[in-house]
Amino acid sequence: MTSLIAFLIAFPLVVGAILLVITRASIRNPIVLVSAAAIGVASIATVVTFGNGDAVFFGLPGGIVPGQALLAVEIAMTAFIVVISLVNRRILAPIMAVAQLGIALFLELTGRMPEADAGRLFWFDRLSMVMVLIIGLIGTLICVNAIGYMRDYHRSNPMIKGRRNVFFSLLFVFLAGMFGLVVSNNLPMMLVFWEITTLCSFLLIGYTRTEETLGYAFKALNMNLLGGLGFGLAIALLSNQPNGLDLAKLTAGPVSGTLLAAVALLAFAGITKSAQMPFSSWLIGAMYAPSPTSALLHSSTMVKAGVFLLLRLSPAMSGSAVGYMVTFVGLVTFLFVSLVAATEQNTKKVLAYSTIGSLGLIVGCAGIGTPELAWVGVMIIIFHALAKGLLFLVVGTIENRLYTKDMENFDTLISRLPRVSVLALAGIAGMFIAPFGIVVAKWAAIRAFLLVPGGQGAAMIVIMAFGSSLTLFYWGKLLIKVLSMRSVSAYERSIEGRISRYEWLTEGALAVGVLAVTASIGIISDRVVGPYALSAFSAGPQTLLNIEPAMLAVMLAAVLFLPLLALRVSSRSYDEADFYTSGRGSNAGHVMGAALGGSRSVTLRNYYLDGVINGALMFRVGTVASGAILVAMVATGLVVR
Amino acid sequence: MSPWIYGALFLVFAPVFGGLLAGVDRIVSARMQGRVGPPLLQPFYDVGKLLQKQARQVNPVVEPLLLGHVGFMAVSGALLLGGTDLIFIAFIVALAALFLVLAAGSVNSPYSFAGAERELVVLLASEPFFILMMAAVCKVTGAFTFAGVLASPQLVAVQLPGVVLAFLLVATIKLRKSPFDISMSHHPHQELVSGLTTDMSGRMLAYVELAHWYESALLCAFMVLLFNWSIALGFVAFAIAYALEVLVDNSTSRIKWQLVLRSTWIATLLFSGGNVLALFLLGR
Repeated sequence: MTSLIAFLIAFPLVVGAILLVITRASIRNPIVLVSAAAIGVASIATVVTFGNGDAVFFGLPGGIVPGQALLAVEIAMTAFIVVISLVNRRILAPIMAVAQLGIALFLELTGRMPEADAGRLFWFDRLSMVMVLIIGLIGTLICVNAIGYMRDYHRSNPMIKGRRNVFFSLLFVFLAGMFGLVVSNNLPMMLVFWEITTLCSFLLIGYTRTEETLGYAFKALNMNLLGGLGFGLAIALLSNQPNGLDLAKLTAGPVSGTLLAAVALLAFAGITKSAQMPFSSWLIGAMYAPSPTSALLHSSTMVKAGVFLLLRLSPAMSGSAVGYMVTFVGLVTFLFVSLVAATEQNTKKVLAYSTIGSLGLIVGCAGIGTPELAWVGVMIIIFHALAKGLLFLVVGTIENRLYTKDMENFDTLISRLPRVSVLALAGIAGMFIAPFGIVVAKWAAIRAFLLVPGGQGAAMIVIMAFGSSLTLFYWGKLLIKVLSMRSVSAYERSIEGRISRYEWLTEGALAVGVLAVTASIGIISDRVVGPYALSAFSAGPQTLLNIEPAMLAVMLAAVLFLPLLALRVSSRSYDEADFYTSGRGSNAGHVMGAALGGSRSVTLRNYYLDGVINGALMFRVGTVASGAILVAMVATGLVVR
Repeated sequence: MSPWIYGALFLVFAPVFGGLLAGVDRIVSARMQGRVGPPLLQPFYDVGKLLQKQARQVNPVVEPLLLGHVGFMAVSGALLLGGTDLIFIAFIVALAALFLVLAAGSVNSPYSFAGAERELVVLLASEPFFILMMAAVCKVTGAFTFAGVLASPQLVAVQLPGVVLAFLLVATIKLRKSPFDISMSHHPHQELVSGLTTDMSGRMLAYVELAHWYESALLCAFMVLLFNWSIALGFVAFAIAYALEVLVDNSTSRIKWQLVLRSTWIATLLFSGGNVLALFLLGR
């Protein structure tokens, strides 16, 4: 197993290096396909050879400690950030990058950095196993999908200079960084992988190198470097603590004093990376990148690194003021991004807000620190990775066919792109209806929040009540548009035929994955997530919520309902009957009679709560509220010590 | 007796209850307006006739979506009595209601679409209340099932006066009563024709009516949760609440969706939220 993990980290790096120099698609595509398959097989093999599921710690062959090598990588990345920022005349990013490097150099040169335990560099347990599968299977599917997507993307955006060799190279390096991150036990080593993902996402978001995307790319870089700086400071605090840099030992149970301060700083880093308010804007900006980038950042990598770290920290935060504040950062984010999503018309942005909201729920769960909520958090990670990955890819496919991201223009999708809408509905069902997409997660979260004493418990439940209802509203609007029907011309029907087989293959696989995971949720819970949650927490009640068979059956029915309906409709034609227009209109083209014998066209536009909820204002309010809690959290950690 | 028998009984008898309730409603409303009103069983005759009529479907997804609407509504009632977690029930009822919105929205016509959007807004308006109510009931009784709440020695309504108050307001939405009946409009000569049912006829309409009967019965069951000393007490409370709803229905005119959303959210936040906060602060 250990050699397989080494392969998972090293192989994508090699592939990334090779892809960088290959500019011909005919050579690149097979390499991407074969490498993706190899990584997928290796990640499954890693899990199969994992054994009985108990946590395993191991080091590099020959007991090598990578201290100097890590520093070299950090120096190289910092130099790269400094150069690319100065070329683009940005000053904030290099300051933070240099500051972080300064901390590392200071610790190293003054001999304060303790020698890492050579046998405990890596930590592989059931949580790492879940993450490895998500990265290795969903991440690679997104890479394969990008073959088809990027071809169409450059066809429909001829102004953008194609640098697809760089794009695919970055995708694989990103996967390597993620694999390294989720198996790290040594914090300084984890930080290096952490920064690799920051750097890759920066470069992927800025891929088109327009002024707009560069702005978003630097925003993402700045925010994530700030998180990285928090991570670096945490390492500095921990460097003189016994076993402080050993993540597994640090998070064995509730901590206090300097350790809690460091945990607060690490949680800060996790919150930036998982795009919680006040750092949500970087992920929204990432929407302007090509869709596979969005899919990757949202589903299997990047933001999942943030919540992964928070879940790792969860036992340490348990019961502390820091933990409660982390929970409130997550819940306040969940509420306010849901308010914003209800007013948003750009489909990709709605998906982005929904991602931030789901992550907010995971962050909320992690902060409380009970086995029950850790179980919920991991379950959301699994469902969210599958369903959101699928949805972003499908929206990307739609965007390349209909040339729009506007939710209003997704109307009658089931008539125009019937097979694509089957996939879209599978994604929405997985996200919104499925167990742990949202519904069971919300249910379990409320159940757990009922046990939180005092006013904070009440606040958590009120937030959940309003936030949950808003998710129903914005998914409902998208569903109305997708499910609405009209008769379509033969030309419109032909559009669907031009979607590449790479996209069909990967999106179909993810849709099947959503349904398969839903069906096997009992096994996943009993064998993997449940044991993980129970073993991660030594203190507190060792119980998990019971999902009754009746609940499961209803959920399964609900998840299957819409995709099966779409499948049935897509396979047959129908005679359109006229709808009612008070005798003042015709169905063709939605025209209705108006005053003075004229006629006006009818537009059916979703409600965006204009005049009731101001989305931009809500975003600012949420950012300020969450920012205040975050500052209080870090201050509590540092001062109370 | 296994609680699942109660669930099965709900499937059978909830429509009878809902239909009778609609019949009484029509008679009482008629008397308020100085009319005699239809026979008590008129709603059943109506649905019976609708089922016999030719059903013209605007498109092939309307019927399955409406069946989903009835099905999930009925099943959520059965699960409630069958002992499924109360908070979970609040989510499933909302999901069931969403299917009606999707059916109307799929028609893609002006009146249906406007009705669907408004129905979605009233769902958004009412849903926070039901989640809060279920959470509060669980908090007070420490039980998470229907039978558990009934067995609790606490009279829930005494601890949750704010929730009871908000229930009266929000039930107006679920019972499709004025001034909150903005998505369907049971009264003639309105700007919405008949809202989200405009393009439904024959058995499609029968499904909508049947689902509404199930929903009425569900609301009555929710009332039993609040007045949990005995089922009879819950029914009496529901009858009084319903009488109030009919009175308000006949004496108010419909308001705009913005006001529906604002008023129900504020009421939910103040009354239910305040009630829940008090519960937590008092350490219950």
